[in-house]
Amino acid sequence: MPERWSTPETTVVTGAAGWLGQALMHRLRADPARARLRVLVHDASETAVFDNAENVNVIVGDIADRAVVDALFDGVGADADVIHTAGVIHPKRVSDFFDVNTTGTKHIVSAARAAGVRRLVHVSSNSPFGTNASATDVFRNDEPYNPYYGYGQSKMEAEQAVFAAVAGEDGGAALDAVVVRPPWFYGPFQPPRQTTFFRMVRKGKFPVIAGGHQRRSMVYVDNLVDGLLLAELTPRARGNGYWIADARPYQVTEIVETVGRALRDEGFSVKVGALRLPAIAGRVAEVGDKLIQRTGRYQQQLHVLGEMDKTIACDISAARRDLRYEPQVELYEGMRRSIRWCVEQGLEL
Amino acid sequence: MAGDAADGRRYVSGLLDAAAIAAGDALDAEVVVVGSGAGGAVTAALLAEAGFDVLIVEEGPWVEQESVRPFSLEQMDWQYRAGGVTVALGLPSIAYTEGRCAGGGTEVNSGLYFRPPVDLIDRWTTDYQIKDLDPDEIAGIADEVEQALDVGKVPGRKTPGSEILRRGAAALGWRHSEIPRWMTYPPGGDAVTGKRQSMTRTYLPRAFAAGARMVVDCRVDKLTVGKGVATGLSVRYSDGTRSEIRCRHAIVCGGAIQTPALLQRSGVRGRIGRSLAVHPTVKLSGRFAGEVNVPDDVPVHQVKEFAPDLSFGGSASHPGLVALALSDHWAEFSRAITEWRRICIYYAAITSEGRGVVQAVPGLRDPLVTYRLTHRDRETLRSGLARLALLMLEAGADEVYPSFRGAPVVRNRRDLATMQQSFAASKASVMTVHLCSTVPMGEALDRCGADSFGRVHGTSNVWVNDASLLPSAPGVNPQATVMAFAIRNVRRFIETNGRGDA
Repeated sequence: MPERWSTPETTVVTGAAGWLGQALMHRLRADPARARLRVLVHDASETAVFDNAENVNVIVGDIADRAVVDALFDGVGADADVIHTAGVIHPKRVSDFFDVNTTGTKHIVSAARAAGVRRLVHVSSNSPFGTNASATDVFRNDEPYNPYYGYGQSKMEAEQAVFAAVAGEDGGAALDAVVVRPPWFYGPFQPPRQTTFFRMVRKGKFPVIAGGHQRRSMVYVDNLVDGLLLAELTPRARGNGYWIADARPYQVTEIVETVGRALRDEGFSVKVGALRLPAIAGRVAEVGDKLIQRTGRYQQQLHVLGEMDKTIACDISAARRDLRYEPQVELYEGMRRSIRWCVEQGLEL
Repeated sequence: MAGDAADGRRYVSGLLDAAAIAAGDALDAEVVVVGSGAGGAVTAALLAEAGFDVLIVEEGPWVEQESVRPFSLEQMDWQYRAGGVTVALGLPSIAYTEGRCAGGGTEVNSGLYFRPPVDLIDRWTTDYQIKDLDPDEIAGIADEVEQALDVGKVPGRKTPGSEILRRGAAALGWRHSEIPRWMTYPPGGDAVTGKRQSMTRTYLPRAFAAGARMVVDCRVDKLTVGKGVATGLSVRYSDGTRSEIRCRHAIVCGGAIQTPALLQRSGVRGRIGRSLAVHPTVKLSGRFAGEVNVPDDVPVHQVKEFAPDLSFGGSASHPGLVALALSDHWAEFSRAITEWRRICIYYAAITSEGRGVVQAVPGLRDPLVTYRLTHRDRETLRSGLARLALLMLEAGADEVYPSFRGAPVVRNRRDLATMQQSFAASKASVMTVHLCSTVPMGEALDRCGADSFGRVHGTSNVWVNDASLLPSAPGVNPQATVMAFAIRNVRRFIETNGRGDA
């Protein structure tokens, strides 16, 4: 078994116009060895981001629609890898989680098998594993599932569909697949909701619950792209799942302080402080999130606040060992690049 | 030198015959040691060897090891307090067990040995202002204890239950190791042939050889304390007769529940019984393809990947205990009991942020014990039990039965999600065997019941020298730490109080 495969003739990318998808596409298009890119986007309006490049074939449609996925895989064969980044994290309705994240992934798995591709890289999340039991706990590479509400459940079911295909449990031909689990990511190509994050820090209004001793693993989006490509091209990774994150988890207070510093160093005025909330605020928000999700609806602010008092920390040593993954960018530098990107896009912080 | 337990004789002594001490007054001693477990036995032995006139008073019976099957329900009935059924009230309540026999917990525990953790000693020194607590001195004492108890690893085959832990942890890449025990093995022996080097085999015979006397089946009702000075003890034998014993020093080593209760009954005030610390523990049973159950022994492997927050190990798995472990969801789990030979019980133990209270209640024999788990404790129990179940699956378990009300049978990773989402600590059979910290030692008066060497604050001659002194639960099996601290303290006592005038 070689240490690394060479790049395939065809690279299939789902969610190509998303945050991670754009960062990935940016890298793939800069690599002359990537001869052919077949990508899936949700809306026709999103095709513009690929500049009508000759080697990019764009398919437009809903990943939950099998016919759309079949079109994406039209003409795709063994000399192809699939990087499946499509997913919905803040939907309008809870059912979207399952249509996009679970059903969509099942379609991709099925089509990838039928096409006989070399490898599928499935982008998962920390959410199938819930949150850490305490601020000192760290998720090891292999953990028991404990899905965090609708998103976590949908991503867990997606992972299970991938692993079942790898094991050939469902009777089909065994699929070569690797699962990549990124925590909270940040960096260029961020959607507009992320500018709210910078604005809250600037105004000293970022919610810090119960002293902010919770720890969060985060991943700079280019570190994540590094991890995805290593997962794609490392033969021995087959059948495994890996955390891909920055080198270490950050304490919430450190995140707020570092983002404030990055904003100041990029020339923004920053009001010192944070919106300090008691522990109960996080619990109340979590209960609210749970109750609303039970009715099939989804409320982003409550969901995010409910998660803010949790520790979500993961250990990347398995990715370091098996993939030779080494994160290149840390929080301060990553946030500065992220802020610069926003400024270049003319986004108001 | 030991009395015959079967005929109910209550005196065990190398020096005096029963008739001579039956009068009661003859029991007067320079130092009375209350309790004969890991703390009391070493205290008595070292004092006697230094020339002090020592009497050990033990509430429980003297039970020869060969006369009772290890880790059995019968043993719980004989050698545990209240047959092993004692509870710290709370949501959930936590069942705890205490040895109640000559040798105390050392006669019945798993015999797994951990040196006192150095970082913990440093933290205790700072947080509780313990004077002259030298990690090197403790390490030196640990060397002595390891020799005295023949601490070592199993020479031959480990039990299948131990092998399961090793295999599961190795598959997950989790840190694990074989824990040495205070056991001796015959030539060519293996795990099940070990002889436990408990206090009745080690420090108590040493105490007797140096002249100490011991009375068993004798409960201390209270110490007679006036103006901070103890002058004697009121005791009651198991047949109901009472008497008084006079002493110059009283050293209380009754364990973390009985020690504070006795001090409270004796009117001693201060930080006594306010800060009980335990290792709350949840369990599961794993069913495997082959016959893995070895009723008379417990696994010697532990998983320390998540230590000190969380540790995994194996429990006693007698058929009776298997039935007990399956009883949390009996309707669903009971069918497994006929296959008990294929089942082993395992535990996940946590270091807890919560604390408990021991409160003596006038008119009641036993104190009221309460314990409060924090949110973090409950969450750690949940994730601990799930991680342990994952380890079972990786070790090849066909089915896993978690010990909480309404728990699902776990057969695959998907079931682990169901299990975690239906878990609540309040539904679990939480228990503990490690009880500490009810008379913390140190000079920080707002949190310490005894000074840096175990003398109860506000008294001149009442001492504590058992697990009650440890400022927090150590995150490892505590017996070695209890012994090391007891030896350190008793040496200081000998230095301070000179050689006995006996």
